[in-house]
Amino acid sequence: MSLVKLASITKKMTIASVGAFLLVFLPMHMGLNLCILREDGGEWYRNVCHFMGTNWIVKIMEVVLMLSVLVHVVVAILLTIENKKARPVGYAVPSKSKTHAGSKWMIYTGVIVLVFLIIHFINFYFVKFGIVVADDSDTYTVEVEDIQKHLNDKVTELQEQMMNGTLSQEQAQEQMMALQLEYMPFLQIAQTGQPSDKISKDGEELINLSKEELKQFVGEDFTEYEPDFYTMCKKLFANPTYSIIYLFALVILGIHLFHAINSIFQTFGLNHRKYNKAIEYLAAGYALIIPLGFAIVPLFVMFCK
Amino acid sequence: MNLTLKIWRQENARAKGRFETYKVENISPDCSFLEMLDILNEQLVDKLSHPVCFDNDCREGICGMCGLYINGRPHGPDDGVTTCQLHMRRFKDGDTIVIEPWRARPFPVIRDLVVDRTAFDKIIQEGGYVSVTTGGVPDGNAIPIPKKNADEAMDAAACIGCGACVAACKNASAMLFVSAKVSQLALLPQGRPEAARRVQAMVAKMDELGFGNCTNTYACEAECPKQIKRSNIARMNREFLCAKVCSEE
Repeated sequence: MSLVKLASITKKMTIASVGAFLLVFLPMHMGLNLCILREDGGEWYRNVCHFMGTNWIVKIMEVVLMLSVLVHVVVAILLTIENKKARPVGYAVPSKSKTHAGSKWMIYTGVIVLVFLIIHFINFYFVKFGIVVADDSDTYTVEVEDIQKHLNDKVTELQEQMMNGTLSQEQAQEQMMALQLEYMPFLQIAQTGQPSDKISKDGEELINLSKEELKQFVGEDFTEYEPDFYTMCKKLFANPTYSIIYLFALVILGIHLFHAINSIFQTFGLNHRKYNKAIEYLAAGYALIIPLGFAIVPLFVMFCK
Repeated sequence: MNLTLKIWRQENARAKGRFETYKVENISPDCSFLEMLDILNEQLVDKLSHPVCFDNDCREGICGMCGLYINGRPHGPDDGVTTCQLHMRRFKDGDTIVIEPWRARPFPVIRDLVVDRTAFDKIIQEGGYVSVTTGGVPDGNAIPIPKKNADEAMDAAACIGCGACVAACKNASAMLFVSAKVSQLALLPQGRPEAARRVQAMVAKMDELGFGNCTNTYACEAECPKQIKRSNIARMNREFLCAKVCSEE
């Protein structure tokens, strides 16, 4: 492992720069989350989720982000192992030295944040990929075009079977009628733009279907569809246990961030009487505003809805 | 003052150590901490047992030889002083004082409270000096040096190499020591020509010897008897980055 052989300062600069990248990601994620607060039945939030799930730039950045988390975690573990090895026999009296707030607990706060991140992935991120299947009661967001396409596919299949002679003309026509009846409600709603719980406000493109309804016309491929993150999110945060875990993780994240930001500047040698105070305020501000911004969503769902 | 002392006793580097409890009585509050240990040792010698070994030399806070981990703090409860400058008036009658040696893999215990700090010398040997003879004292202001640089270099050079930074650091990192040595030369024109090579060599040696990594906890700065500042660590990080990016050495 050549990573092990890197100089201590190089390793620290690696973890710091990767951490700095993660710091850029947080305000963006927070901004997207806050879209849920808009009183529009989740239109903005669904659109944002759809954008984040389909845009190719986002997809590239997702890979970069995951690699960053991986590098951050691997280097952190490596540094911690080296640090523990540097003092094989410990002190009988625990240290009473003054230290920078949060600095002694970075690996522990880091581990808690990582554990939370995994829970968070299971609840949201993996659902997007269909690795984790959304709850039965969750609804899915499907484009009308897709439903149309599925109907057309099935019709073509029937026509082929008719040509081959596996089905008689009467049988085929019967099945085609059945199909049209089955698909009618969804297509009609979409085409007429009639307001309904199955259709989002902009009416044209997206319809929200229950898992059963979705299974009806796409079969077992339903996991390929985006679940409706708006209802999913509200349902999760309505659970006080989940919300409290979420809020606890945010407090821990704040502690991690406060030392992290101070640390990044120090590690890159940016320590100067002129702006040391500014760095301290920047770190405190960021470590306060970001967790607060994230905390608004569960608090809003728990108390205002 | 009557005190209870819990002192780390260890026969030699390979032996397994343990804490021994001793009682000392009628200690004057004006005694220095090391004088208090001297009194204990006299008692031990009278009883024909081995005295407690501890490092010391000048006993006026400038040589860097003494260094004990007292009640969870290197050099004891006072800020900015070495163990020899600590006085018993800082303790209360009836106190229990726990005395441990510096703990770090590169600082193995030789006996009792004495540790081997050769690791620091090895780091200095990697370039903590100007490698050419610079001749006699030049005329004043022959080489212009900003006052601020001269002051900062002097502050960094105040490091006495006692190892309290390593002892205080939760990672047993030597960054404050190494950065003080790098800084005192990097700030002055005489040190610049070799700066890039120096910082890389000294950091490499520090890593090789098994010191931990800096996590910007700043316990070192809080415990340094010479109050060497963390800004030196930042300067070393800067020097290191510049050397890696710009230098061909």
